[in-house]
Amino acid sequence: MIPKKHVPDLIRDGNRFSDKIMREQESVRGNLAARFQEFRDSIKRDHLLWVLIALGPVFALFCIIRVYPILETIRLSFYRYHPTQRNRPFIGFDNYWRLLEDEAFRTALINTLQFCVMAVIITLVLAFAIAVLLRSIEKVAPVYELLLYIPVVTPWVPASVIWKWIFDPVHGILNYGLTSVGLPKLAWLQDEHVILYAIVLVSVWKMLGYFVVVYGVGLRNIPDELLEASELDGATPWQRLIYVVIPMMKPIILFTVIIATIIFFNVFAPVYVLTASAQGAPAYDFKVVIGEIYQNAFVFYRMGYAGAQSVVLLLFVLTLVFIQFTLFREKR
Amino acid sequence: MFRERPIVLTAYVVCTIMALLAVTPFFWVLMTALKSNPEINAWPPHVFPIQPTLEHFHRILGEENFLRYILNSLIIALSSMTAILFTSSLAGFIFAKYKFPGRGVLFAIILATAIIPLEVYIIPLYLMVFGVKMMNSYLSLVFPFVIMTFGVFFMRQVIMSIPDELLEAARIDGANEFWIYVRVVLALSKSGLMALGVFAFSEAWANFIWPLVVVTTKDMYTTELGLATYQRQFYIEYGPISAGAVISIMPMLIVFALLRRHIMKGIATSGLRG
Repeated sequence: MIPKKHVPDLIRDGNRFSDKIMREQESVRGNLAARFQEFRDSIKRDHLLWVLIALGPVFALFCIIRVYPILETIRLSFYRYHPTQRNRPFIGFDNYWRLLEDEAFRTALINTLQFCVMAVIITLVLAFAIAVLLRSIEKVAPVYELLLYIPVVTPWVPASVIWKWIFDPVHGILNYGLTSVGLPKLAWLQDEHVILYAIVLVSVWKMLGYFVVVYGVGLRNIPDELLEASELDGATPWQRLIYVVIPMMKPIILFTVIIATIIFFNVFAPVYVLTASAQGAPAYDFKVVIGEIYQNAFVFYRMGYAGAQSVVLLLFVLTLVFIQFTLFREKR
Repeated sequence: MFRERPIVLTAYVVCTIMALLAVTPFFWVLMTALKSNPEINAWPPHVFPIQPTLEHFHRILGEENFLRYILNSLIIALSSMTAILFTSSLAGFIFAKYKFPGRGVLFAIILATAIIPLEVYIIPLYLMVFGVKMMNSYLSLVFPFVIMTFGVFFMRQVIMSIPDELLEAARIDGANEFWIYVRVVLALSKSGLMALGVFAFSEAWANFIWPLVVVTTKDMYTTELGLATYQRQFYIEYGPISAGAVISIMPMLIVFALLRRHIMKGIATSGLRG
């Protein structure tokens, strides 16, 4: 059977050939008419009108809601921009120079990176271990996956609210646990050194199940023959894990590292819930990047400056994507 | 994968502990929500409420108008889901089944925005809403969530698996393209739509920063925003806060319980995040 998509090509080639003859024999007007006819045919044959009607509005929405705002963020970062002020001068790289001297932003960046690295490593290592272990008890694995997935479907705000009560310095169950084994109470959300770990704990708890399931899918795709063959060759479970399972899982591990890094770098809701507030709730004011963008843009209305901070975030994300692409390309 | 005795045993022990750790906080918040105030602050804490009470739920639903917040969240999540299912399946269908000039470029433009989080471009989005004076409206709350880059990509994958012959047969029977979209494509990608729908619903429901930015009046609060604001104002009163947390988790848990198979399948085929 001739592949269907080739048929129109043949016809089109035929048209071009006849065009050539016509150019030699007939007037230019005839040539144009033939071309117009061909164009009309292709509209009909490829349903171009339908494509335009169906895709046009959706693509326009993409431009309005995604493409334009991203470009506009970059433009804003070169202006001093207050939404209610008429005067919005172009100030070149001034926002970026200011960013370099901004103590709060530097703290936020360091905090976020620290948090991100810890959360990514703990979440992924734990998730991988659990996923591998679950493959040994395949029959009951779905039950465990389901239970681990409940925190994933819980939105960040209620999840953080639950933990805030667990972290309570006086009545919290976590401190009760500490004292009952003879350890001193910790000021989980009030101590600037401890709060980082508290937020890591919440985040790992929240996202663990997702990565267990993702790894589970990848592990199930490893052919049993490979493992059986290595087992027959006398490989210990540890060797099988290091030399068979992990190499096979490399692309998925890379994917999860990128995804987890982006998820955790955008941490905001748990920080908003668990840290100090304007009302004076007793907690340490833990700064993160999104929190700084939010403060500058929507509390102080320094939109240009916040735009520059957003561009830093954008560059971070793009760097990660670039790393992923180059590593993937090396594979092939 | 590993059939050695000690490994299987370790697997049971470790996975059971982790699963318990995953669900214990929910259990604890539910118990707290059912306790009376003196019991909540009792030391040492006890697990089960001695005299279970619904007073905190009364307070949060009655005085705090949480029902309104839940209704708002439902309206937003359902409209977002409907819009995303429509736009994603339509664009996915076009990209999967038609050849047209510029197809690759347009698809690349859409894909390029996939990984960039909302927080990056939230300022211009806000300025657009602010500029047309649409703050505190459902339209502005849903507006960033009517399309989903990942949805287009996902539906394209789903629709590509529909054989061309079926579309061709419908054309020969005299069907126009819109009819094919509705009666053939949508009908044949139901399970894909289901997975994407759950995902879209939970994304819109759980989003926090966008309502925080565009909503200033209490009657437009979403569940997330209402809970976050409430716990900041009344940070001492764990009873009502816990009740609020329980209430705001319920809808997502119900959706998950009903559609868990579709959710798990969605992750399995494409890494959808619930």
